[in-house]
Amino acid sequence: MSVGGWLELIASGLITGGIYALVALGLNLQYGLMRVLNIAHGEFLMLGAFFTWAAHSTFGISPLLMLPVSFGLLMGLGLVIHRLVFRRLTRTSPNLDVFEARGLMASFGLMFLVQNFAQSVWGGELRGYDFMADPVVIPGPGGGAQFAANKLLLFVLALAISAALIVVLRKTLYGKGVRALMQSPTGAQLVGIDTERLHPLMFGVGLGLSGVAGCLLSMTYTISPSMGEPYTVTALIVITLGGFGSMGGALAGGLALGVIEGVGMHFTNPSLKSLLSYGIFIAVLLWRPNGLFARR
Amino acid sequence: MNGHPLLEARELTVRFGGLTAVDAVSAAFAPAELVGIIGPNGAGKTTFFNALSGVVVPTSGELFASGRRLTGARPHRYAQQGIARTFQTPRVFAELSVGANIDFGLQFAGRRRPATGLLKDEASILQLIGLAAQRALPAAAITPSQQRLLEIGMALATRPKLLLLDEVAAGLTENEVEAMAQLIRRLRDELELTVIWIEHAVTTLMRHVERVIVLHQGRKIADGLPSEVVRNAEVVEAYLGDEMAEAA
Amino acid sequence: MKRDLVVLFGLAGWALALPHYGSEFVVSLGLSCLMYATLSSSWSLFCGSTRYLSLATSAFFGIGAYTGALVLGQLPWLAAIALGGAIAASVAVVMGLAVLHLRGTYFAVLTFGMTELIRHAISYWEKQVTGTVGRVLSVVPERDTVYLTMLVLAVTAVLVSIALRRSRFGLAMAGIGADEQRAQTLGVNTRLVKVGGFALTAAFAGAVGAVMSVRWTYIDPATVFNPFIGFQTVLIALIGGAATLWGPLIAAVVFSLLAETLRLQLPQVYMMALGLLLIVCVLYLPGGLASLRWPAIGGWRKR
Repeated sequence: MSVGGWLELIASGLITGGIYALVALGLNLQYGLMRVLNIAHGEFLMLGAFFTWAAHSTFGISPLLMLPVSFGLLMGLGLVIHRLVFRRLTRTSPNLDVFEARGLMASFGLMFLVQNFAQSVWGGELRGYDFMADPVVIPGPGGGAQFAANKLLLFVLALAISAALIVVLRKTLYGKGVRALMQSPTGAQLVGIDTERLHPLMFGVGLGLSGVAGCLLSMTYTISPSMGEPYTVTALIVITLGGFGSMGGALAGGLALGVIEGVGMHFTNPSLKSLLSYGIFIAVLLWRPNGLFARR
Repeated sequence: MNGHPLLEARELTVRFGGLTAVDAVSAAFAPAELVGIIGPNGAGKTTFFNALSGVVVPTSGELFASGRRLTGARPHRYAQQGIARTFQTPRVFAELSVGANIDFGLQFAGRRRPATGLLKDEASILQLIGLAAQRALPAAAITPSQQRLLEIGMALATRPKLLLLDEVAAGLTENEVEAMAQLIRRLRDELELTVIWIEHAVTTLMRHVERVIVLHQGRKIADGLPSEVVRNAEVVEAYLGDEMAEAA
Repeated sequence: MKRDLVVLFGLAGWALALPHYGSEFVVSLGLSCLMYATLSSSWSLFCGSTRYLSLATSAFFGIGAYTGALVLGQLPWLAAIALGGAIAASVAVVMGLAVLHLRGTYFAVLTFGMTELIRHAISYWEKQVTGTVGRVLSVVPERDTVYLTMLVLAVTAVLVSIALRRSRFGLAMAGIGADEQRAQTLGVNTRLVKVGGFALTAAFAGAVGAVMSVRWTYIDPATVFNPFIGFQTVLIALIGGAATLWGPLIAAVVFSLLAETLRLQLPQVYMMALGLLLIVCVLYLPGGLASLRWPAIGGWRKR
C-alpha cells in the first residue's frame, strides 16, 4: 500500500479515535471519580445523536448549534440521573464492592430503559442526514489524502473538546478538586472539597461528553437506537488501556484504538469489527485486571 | 513426628511495588511453642502473617510446613495443612449465628483431622472460648470483644497445628487481656498448638510467651527469650525504649 | 425442607395437568414460566450465594440452543438436551477459570462482554463459514414432550437448589459470598467451588436453550443470544430475592405473565418498564421482595 494510502488509513483511524477518546473521557470521569461503571454510557451518546438529528430534520437547526445544546441537555439528564439513582446508592451501600455491583446493575437497567425508549420514539431503522459531506483534499506526501469535510470537523472538534476538558481539569480549581477526589476521596474531603456537588456535576459532564460525541457522530454516520453499545465497550477498553483515572491516557488510548481498529479492519474483514472489539475487550480486561478495577 | 519444624520460613520477602514489607525473614517454629512477634508500627508483622498463612504470596523466599513446600499455594491449602489465623479486625460471618460461624471451619479444613478432645465439635469449641451462651445469636449481635473470641474459635474449628493470632488483645481491658492470655496459654498447653502471637501490648506478651521475634522495617532483628530480647540494644533502640526497660 | 418439597410437588403436579385442559396460549405461557423459573433458580443458586453476578446466561442459553439445533437430527431428544447442557457447562468452566478469580463487579462486566463476544463470533461464523443466517429445526418432538421436559428441568433446578442449600457445597458458596478470603483461610477451595457453581448454572441454561430452540423451530444468533434473556433472568432473581428459594420462582411466574401479555403489544414499553423496575429494585429493595417478609439471617442454619 502506498504511503498516501497508509496516511489515509491512519488518519481515518484517528478520526474514529477522536470519538472514542471523547466517550472514554466521559466514562473515565464517572468511574474514576465515583466508581460508577455506567454500562449505559453509549446509550446517551445515541441520545445526543438522535436529538441532533431530530433538531436538524424537524427544525433545520444546524448540528453545530446542537453541539452545546446536546451537551447541555445530556448534562442536565446526567444531573437528574445522579440525583435519582446514584446518590441514593452511595448512601445505602454498605461498602464499595456492593456499591459498584449495584451501580452496575442500575446502569444495566438504564441501558434497557434508554435504548428501548429511543426505539419506541424513533423506531429501529437507520437514520441520517447530510452535513458538510463534501470532500476536502489535504496536501501531503504521495498525493495527499481526501476526507469528507464533516469527518475532519469531527476530528478537530473531538480533539478540541477533549483537550479543553483536560485543561480544565488541570488548571481550574474545580478540576483540581476532581483530580484530588480521584486520588484520595477521604483526603480530598478533609481538605474541604465538596463531593456532594462535584459528583453530580462530573457525572453530568461525563454524560454531556457522551452527548456531544453522539452529536458529532450524527453529522457523518447513520444512527440507530442500538448504536450505543459498541461505544461503551470501546470506552471500557480505552480506559483500561489508558489507565483508569488518567485523562491523558484516555485521550491517547482512544486515538490509538481508533487507529488499531482501522488498520486491523482494513487487513481483515470489516464484518469482524464487533468480534474484534469484544475480543480485545476480553483480552485487555484479562491481561490488565488491575487497570480497570484496581483498589485505590 | 519427622525432624522438620512445624513451620519454617526461609528468607521470606514480600515486596509491594517499591516497598519491601518483609525483608528476608527466616524463622522456624516447633510444635507447642508460644511465640510472640513484636515490632514498631510498619515493621511488617501483619504482612509476615499474611505470608505465613498464604493470603499473600511472597516475592521471594520459601515456606515449609513439616518439610513440605507450601510457597505459592492457595490459602485453603494452608488451612488444610493446619495453619489457622485470625484477622486484626474480626472477620466473622455476620449473618450466620455464632454456632454456625464455628461450624464453618469444622465443615472444611477441620475435617482433615480427627474430632477429639477440646476441639471435638461445635459445642466443645464454644465451651473452650467461652461463648457457649451466645451460640444462637447472630454474629453481628455480639460485642466486639466477643467477636474477637469468635474469631479465635473459627480458627480453632479448622483443628490447626499452628495458630496465628493477630493483635487479639488490642483494645481490651486489663482483665480481658489476662483472660485472653490465659486462653492462649491453655491452647498451647492442652491442645499442643503452636501459637504465634502479634501484639502491641508488649508487656503482656512478654509475660506469657517463651520466645520473642522482633521485626523492624521488615527485617528480623532479634529472636530469643524475652529476657534476652529486652536487653538487645538494637531492639531497645528500634522500639519503645521505656516500655522495654520496664518489662526487663 | 419437607414443606418446600410438598409445595414443589404440588406445583409440579398442577403444572403437569396444564397441557391437558389449557389452551395453546396457556400452555405457551406455562412453558415461558417454567423456562424463566429454571433460569432464575439456577442463576440464584450460584450468583445469589456467592454474589458473583453473572450476565452470561444468554451465552449459555444460546449455546444450548445451537447445540440442540445441530444435533437433533442425529441424537434422541433427551441426549440432545443433555448435550446442550454439557457443552454450555464446559464453556462455563473455561470462562470461569479465566475470570472467576477476579472481583465481583469485574466478573459481571466480563461475563457480559463474553456473552456479546460469543454472539458476534457465532454470527460471524454462521454468515461467513457456513453461509446460513439461522437454523431451522425440522425434527421436533411434540408440544407436550417439550412441555414435560421443561417441567422436569424446572423441578430439577429447584430440587438442586434445595439440596445445595443443605450441603457443604452450598455452605462454601455462602461463605464465598459473605467473605471470600475468610472462607479460604477456613479451608474452602474457592476456585473449585466457584467454577463448579458457575458450570452448574450454565448447564441448566444450556439445557433450557436446547428445549426452547425446538419450541421456536427457527433460531438465529440474534434471538438465542439475545442479552435480554440474561437480563430478565437477573431481574427476576433480584426482584424475587436472589438468595432465597421461592423468591425467584414467584417472580418468574409474575414476569412471564407480564411478558406474554405485554410483550407482543408493546414490546418497547415492556422493556423500558423492566429497565425501570431493575433500577427501582436495586435502589429500594436490594434483597428482593423476599427480604420484605423473611429476616435475612442466613438460610443455612436457623438456630
